[in-house]
Amino acid sequence: MIEHDRGEAVRGDAQADSWSFLDWPHGIARLGVVLCTAIALCFGLIYFVKAVDRLWDTARTNAAQNFDDREFAGGNAVVVANRPLYEARALIPEDETYRVIAGPGVDGATELTAPFIDQYARYFLMPRRPSPDARWIICYGCDRSALGDGFEVFLEDETGIFIGRLAG
Amino acid sequence: MTVRSLLGLFVLNLFALGVGAGLLWGLRGWRSWWELARLAGFAYMLGIAGLGVALTLVLVAGIPFSLATILLTGFVLAGAGVIVGRRLGRPRPALGVGPRRVGLAGAALAALVVVHLEALFRAARLSGLYAFDAWSFWVPKAKAIYFFGGLDEQFFSELPNATYPPLVPALEASAFHFMGSGDVVTLHVQFWFLLAGFVAAVAGLLATRVPPMLLWTFALLALVSPRVVGRTLEPQADFTLDYLFALAALLVVLWLLEHRPWQLASATVFLSAVMLTKREGQLLAACVVAAALVASWRDWRNAWPRLGLVSAGALALAVPWRIWYVSHDLTGEFPESGVTGLLDTLERARPSLQSVLSSAFSVDLWTVVLPLVIAAIVLAFIAGARVLPVYATLVYALALAGFTWAIWSFTELGVPVEQDEAINPVVRLTASLVVLSAALVPLLLDAAWRGTDPPRRPEAG
Repeated sequence: MIEHDRGEAVRGDAQADSWSFLDWPHGIARLGVVLCTAIALCFGLIYFVKAVDRLWDTARTNAAQNFDDREFAGGNAVVVANRPLYEARALIPEDETYRVIAGPGVDGATELTAPFIDQYARYFLMPRRPSPDARWIICYGCDRSALGDGFEVFLEDETGIFIGRLAG
Repeated sequence: MTVRSLLGLFVLNLFALGVGAGLLWGLRGWRSWWELARLAGFAYMLGIAGLGVALTLVLVAGIPFSLATILLTGFVLAGAGVIVGRRLGRPRPALGVGPRRVGLAGAALAALVVVHLEALFRAARLSGLYAFDAWSFWVPKAKAIYFFGGLDEQFFSELPNATYPPLVPALEASAFHFMGSGDVVTLHVQFWFLLAGFVAAVAGLLATRVPPMLLWTFALLALVSPRVVGRTLEPQADFTLDYLFALAALLVVLWLLEHRPWQLASATVFLSAVMLTKREGQLLAACVVAAALVASWRDWRNAWPRLGLVSAGALALAVPWRIWYVSHDLTGEFPESGVTGLLDTLERARPSLQSVLSSAFSVDLWTVVLPLVIAAIVLAFIAGARVLPVYATLVYALALAGFTWAIWSFTELGVPVEQDEAINPVVRLTASLVVLSAALVPLLLDAAWRGTDPPRRPEAG
């Protein structure tokens, strides 16, 4: 009997607790806290699954890339071909300067190539410094004849990219 | 992309933790080693902020930036903390009692956060550098510091956004030194460390103050927001700014509630780091201070001089960078319309506000974080709390107003305002408020549950 009464009392307390959520203002505030937490939890769990799925896909994609693609990454949309900038790194000594001359003559150029190739080269070729009067020239579809006879070509890429040096 | 690079980054971040622990010992101390373990994330972020500010000053002073400089700077900071701690007679820490029970639900949510961080680490580990701003100027600035040992005149004047402060490039250059090369792939892991450190810092600061269920639910919600997932690892300053801002804002509100000096002292370090991370850091720091001034108006005699001191201290640490770029004739710090030219472009006000609000409340970017912030503020008010909801309302409202001003004065952006983030910075701006929510919403909801402002177990110290 005592157990039964105790059970009733607990049920009664629980019922009273439930109703207390409608008391103004503290009950309502607590009800709001429960609702906010429940909504946050629902969205958190749904988006957690999406996020982990997306991140694992990203990790798989990153792992499947070769060294060049990973190193060029965002630059792949700018450079057209990886080889010229790799060759530029190999050819131009770190303490020398270079300049990039962009023109319309690059096969496969994107709309980002001409406006951003100098920025990307600056990032990629550092510590080499860009300079407007540098002897080393990375010609990205530029008019090669305008560089004169003293332009010695070290790399000629099939896409229309040249790397060379003006005679001293 | 090598194990050496990863190990180098691990050592750098361990070093930052050591520096932060030294600073924390000076500013606050700890009674037990368990307490230090709980606050390790906070110590780490304090170390990052302190190192970032100090290394910026080193760069501005023209001191050659090398591995030895980084180590020496860190040792000086940590040593200063230890000396201050000794002077203040901090007692030797005991082992202390273990952490309090988290409960099944809290533990499960914390486990989900850990799983999420693990997934982020895997994505960061071999990530190429795709973000335009990252390869356009953030990482080149870091490379310039790394290769040339300082603020190279040519690169720092020719690279885009020349007046952006160099705290993040300085941290990235430190990462290059510890990795032993300019490894821009592994560099993404550094930003994973910053995210993990931020989560650990918030958890450590709030663990004794709010129930684990609230703490981890809102940490998880902020972390899994699509924009956070997609962009938090990019080696640029946006999310670093957000973490530093959120911690500064959290420390200030904890001080408003508990009045522990270490909270305000730490906030000074974070606020100066915020101002030295990005231009909008000045705006965000001003929002925090202004909100704190209003929220503490009842206690203004006590609070305002201290808040003034914090602002002055943070500004004093941020000013040398401004002197540097002004003395080098670099411009671009302020919007094209000028600070007062807004009246000439009144027609931009409404679309700018719409742009900010549609970004801040976008479910596709941030899920339901900001609607829940509003609900939490209202509930805290209803329940009878005052300082906390007033402060939160003002920080969010002032920041949204500030972002509106930023878009309004950004006259290159035509009307109607495009949301495309390649041309509109509004999405990056609103991220700060979402990250802040991970720290403030648990406090607000806990206050709403208890019907009062101060947290249930404020800290000593």
